Amino acid sequence: MSAILPFLGFGLGLRTEHYNDILESKPNIDWFEALSENYMIPGGKPLDYLDKIRANYPVVMHGVSLSIGSTAEVDYNYLRDLKKLASRIEPGWISDHLCWTGVHGQNMHDLLPLPYTEDTAKHVAERVKIVQDYLGRQILLENVSSYASYVDSSMTEWEFITQIAEAADCLLLLDVNNIYVSSYNHNFDAKAFIDGVPAKRIQQIHLAGHNNHGDYIIDTHDAPVIDPVWDLYEYAIARFGQVSTMIERDDKIPALEDLVDELQIARTISATMSQKTLPCSPVSMSLPEHQI
Amino acid sequence: MQLQSDFQAYLLDSSKGAAFKSQIVNDKKVGVKTRLGIYYDAYRLRIIEVLSNSYPILKALLGDGIFEQAARSYIDIYPSTYRNMRWVGDKMSEHLQENFPQYPIAAEMATFEWGLSLAFDADDAPILGLQDLAAIAPENWADLLFQFHPSMQLFTFKWNVLRVWQALNSEESPPKISQIEEPCVVWRKDLNSHYRSLDLAEYAAIQLVIAGTSFGELCEKMQETATEEAATMQAAQYLSGWLNEGLMTKTL
Repeated sequence: MSAILPFLGFGLGLRTEHYNDILESKPNIDWFEALSENYMIPGGKPLDYLDKIRANYPVVMHGVSLSIGSTAEVDYNYLRDLKKLASRIEPGWISDHLCWTGVHGQNMHDLLPLPYTEDTAKHVAERVKIVQDYLGRQILLENVSSYASYVDSSMTEWEFITQIAEAADCLLLLDVNNIYVSSYNHNFDAKAFIDGVPAKRIQQIHLAGHNNHGDYIIDTHDAPVIDPVWDLYEYAIARFGQVSTMIERDDKIPALEDLVDELQIARTISATMSQKTLPCSPVSMSLPEHQI
Repeated sequence: MQLQSDFQAYLLDSSKGAAFKSQIVNDKKVGVKTRLGIYYDAYRLRIIEVLSNSYPILKALLGDGIFEQAARSYIDIYPSTYRNMRWVGDKMSEHLQENFPQYPIAAEMATFEWGLSLAFDADDAPILGLQDLAAIAPENWADLLFQFHPSMQLFTFKWNVLRVWQALNSEESPPKISQIEEPCVVWRKDLNSHYRSLDLAEYAAIQLVIAGTSFGELCEKMQETATEEAATMQAAQYLSGWLNEGLMTKTL
């Protein structure tokens, strides 16, 4: 199932506040990440805008409720809708989070942490294989920000992620901000995390801001990326080479041009650091026929 | 796995988390109570935000305090069974009717706002326009069957929901809440949700078309209260209005 996925360059999370700006000003953004669930609806404006934006930009899909780590049965209705959306917009790839979101037919709408154990890793890897077989493509799993850890955990988060990715042959979406947040909350070395994950499986990077409460950090995505996270990004690019990178902003959403400016920091860091590794330039994804 | 059941039970009701708390790493920096409290609070705040987005005018009507009370009790009574947060507020009207009877217009306001949101992202369908009917010979009109757009919904309210909604949506003082029978139609036009009130005759005509009544039969039914000429004229006016408003769809 493995296929080489392209380096798309530097992107942004697609937000409704920016729809018209994107279509009118065609900003210098290489690609957009659409939140899958926002478009897993029957029809209307959101899908109409997504089609128009997709006609001009590569788009990747990012879900929040695959619940890959849940002990509940795989939800094939969800997968059917996800696949239907994918066939409509032909995304560069599909990602979701390494977490669980609910059991017993209920959904907590949160990215809840998993215990880092051999059994859990096997359970998740089996489910990733089922999902990849159903979708007919590799998926990307993202490391989440967490606020609690389990006494049963017998390995580090990066060992857990690596075991799953190797066993299921899936790709990874490395959220550098989440690494920073979790390392702060659980007192581990963020660079050890970056050193510990398999470089060849890192397909995408997320960057975002958060809210520091002193003793702990809450991952709010409502502020610019902070310098220590940029430093970690630099460290990651030095190790991985260029990786498709984007900024996530979910609250207090600024003007599109402010995010374009912030994205420029990622471009600069990436250009500088990746010269020290392998040269790489963005690859154009084929665009679907314009759909109106 | 028991762990996930226990974690979820705690999120739904923190009094049920006693045994589960021993599964969480405790350290001197941040205690277990604070760590789990972040998840407990986030679950509620996230759904309150979704409900606020689905019901902005209901929130303006009730005020922030009462709305939050309604939202928090909603979360307790109707835990989400949806993957997609979009659908989380679907039982708000029932909730208000059952548990907030002291605000009698609130349940109907929730029904109306949910209807607007359903119209917003209902299925797409090609719009039928007047020009699409131009080629139909007059003798064939009587057999024509029409279909409304998938976003179209009919409501009859017992309270002055539309006037209150309109005032609050324009950030004006709402009229006094009062009982009035007010049928209305909600649908999507040019990608946005629309609504308008209906008189009882048009409401009845729309119901007939939904039920599969042909144009000829509709004219006949309307003759029960008018002359043949007046009934046909009125039916044609209704139809032309529906076509102009983008309410009808081409049958596939």
